[in-house]
Amino acid sequence: MKSLLILAWRNLWRNKRRSLITMSSVMFAVFLAILFFSMEQGTYERMIDSLVRYSTGYIQIQDVMYDEEPSMDHSMLLDNHVWSAIEKEAGLIDYTVPRIEHFALASSGSISRGGFIMGVDPDAELKLNDLPDRMLFGEFVVQDDPDIVVAEGLADLLRVEPGDSIVLLSQGYQGVTAAGIYRIKGIIGHSIPELNNSVIYMAMGTAQWFFGADHRVTSLIVMPHDPGQTNRIAQDIGAQLDQEWYQVLTWEDMLADLITLMQFDMAGTMVLLAILYIVIAFGLFGTILTMLMERKKEFGMLLALGMKRMQLSLICFAETLLISLAGAMAGILLAIPVIAYFYYFPIELSGNLAEALIDYGFEPILPFSTDPGVFISQARVILIISLGIGLYPIYSIFRLDMMKARQ
Amino acid sequence: MKTVIKTTNLSKVYKDSVVPVHALKNVNLEFSQGEFTAIVGPSGSGKTTFLNIIGGLDKPTDGHVIIDGVDIATMKESQLFDFRLRHIGFVFQAYNLIPVLTALENVSFIMLLQKQSKQEMEKRARAMLEQVGLGDKINERPGRLSGGQQQRVAVARALASKPDFVLADEPTANLDTESAFNLLDIMARLNKEENITLIFSTHDQRVIERARRVITLVDGAVDKDEYFERA
Repeated sequence: MKSLLILAWRNLWRNKRRSLITMSSVMFAVFLAILFFSMEQGTYERMIDSLVRYSTGYIQIQDVMYDEEPSMDHSMLLDNHVWSAIEKEAGLIDYTVPRIEHFALASSGSISRGGFIMGVDPDAELKLNDLPDRMLFGEFVVQDDPDIVVAEGLADLLRVEPGDSIVLLSQGYQGVTAAGIYRIKGIIGHSIPELNNSVIYMAMGTAQWFFGADHRVTSLIVMPHDPGQTNRIAQDIGAQLDQEWYQVLTWEDMLADLITLMQFDMAGTMVLLAILYIVIAFGLFGTILTMLMERKKEFGMLLALGMKRMQLSLICFAETLLISLAGAMAGILLAIPVIAYFYYFPIELSGNLAEALIDYGFEPILPFSTDPGVFISQARVILIISLGIGLYPIYSIFRLDMMKARQ
Repeated sequence: MKTVIKTTNLSKVYKDSVVPVHALKNVNLEFSQGEFTAIVGPSGSGKTTFLNIIGGLDKPTDGHVIIDGVDIATMKESQLFDFRLRHIGFVFQAYNLIPVLTALENVSFIMLLQKQSKQEMEKRARAMLEQVGLGDKINERPGRLSGGQQQRVAVARALASKPDFVLADEPTANLDTESAFNLLDIMARLNKEENITLIFSTHDQRVIERARRVITLVDGAVDKDEYFERA
């Protein structure tokens, strides 16, 4: 087998220029495909990461009704039922983050805007994200802090700055009116425009007092050591809890609309890549076809000498695989430094395109993904194409008339 | 002397064209171990067809080819591949060598397909290349060898695997006189030294003059079967 592979490899270099051109076409296709794919995936990863870290977390335990009707009446008590379910998965769970969240009307002077109050445990939150680092002015809330932190966009809309106060009005637990005046101790910047224009951070105790919901939370975020275990942990916790009262959601459940949008968007890229690969497949097929035609007499000679059709087919099949995989490998190697560069220095967009992205809730940058899956997926596509094309020489050799081939 | 090949009522009709072509008509021949035979005749007389059939490359329309007691005319294709590999050496007029392999690798090729050990293969291939006078060209690829040298490599390959007999289809047709004589000298010597049966198809007078047996085919039938004393 080794000798046959060596023979296949040497056969590729009979016509160096042709093989190099074919390999180059595969290389550029893979390079471009990886670039496109990495950019698309990078954008999604960045967005999902931001949403997971600042909003949903990987897993949330909620009151069973909260997802459908997010109100304080559907908040939950953090009691032993919840903690014992968490305890059983302790080995897989990194930490938990409680939150109490609800919409509120925020007013300053004659200006009122919709806001989203996030009651957080500052110490727990610090493990989840880098909120204190995102402070533009002032400081982030601390435990039992009576003051609040407002997102930059909302502060602009309300025309407030640190040291000012705003009035918050909402509906608390069991219909109580939640109202209060709060001093702003800091302004925070969010890369996700939706959050940047609405979020108000409060210390957990302050928020529970505001909503009249002592010891209650709207969700308990559960962060696994390995995000790949998310579904498994969610299932296990769900099985421990009374499903009449609690539900366990993963980030995919909570961001279902966004994932659908991403998949739709990804479909466009897939069509583009499919066209690219179809062109490459025809190029590769052309090369293989020419190689077969040129060597018909030689094939006849080899079969006459006693080489089995299967052995000859394997050589030609290996040639197809080698030429395409060598091209794919070169494409991957070419893409690695380019992607590494754009991973650390993402392209910053400006103008209408940037605005359009902001409107859709995207950051106006093009981050690249370094997920090995990006590279593996393209290598896999090339492998499938070459396996498909590699069948032709096999078919052709099994149909070859040895006598006519030698003429 | 032991009979290596025996043909009985061997006939071949090509029906591809509008009028069927009778390429061979009731050919009855026997070849003994160590014979040096030339099959001669004008173009279209059936020389190549005869070699193809006794070499298991083509099937007869009628008749039998008995080699080592086995009728190869009744063998399946897969059996014939194996039979050719183990019993027959071939030297073709052109497209003889694998261009991407060195002379040594080309000579080893049949032994590689026979799954002989690497050491044994290399030892035998080197010895055969020495015998055909190409001991200094073992690492050269065919593209860097002359036509005569390439045919010598092909002869070395055909003989290296120690076949029962070697079939050579017009081996000198593309060679200049000096190369042709050189090749024939080598083949005649190997025929004697290795006692291998050599059967040529040719209309090259230089080959005919070296052969100890000359079979003349005319219109697919044996016209003459002559034996000569050669030095």
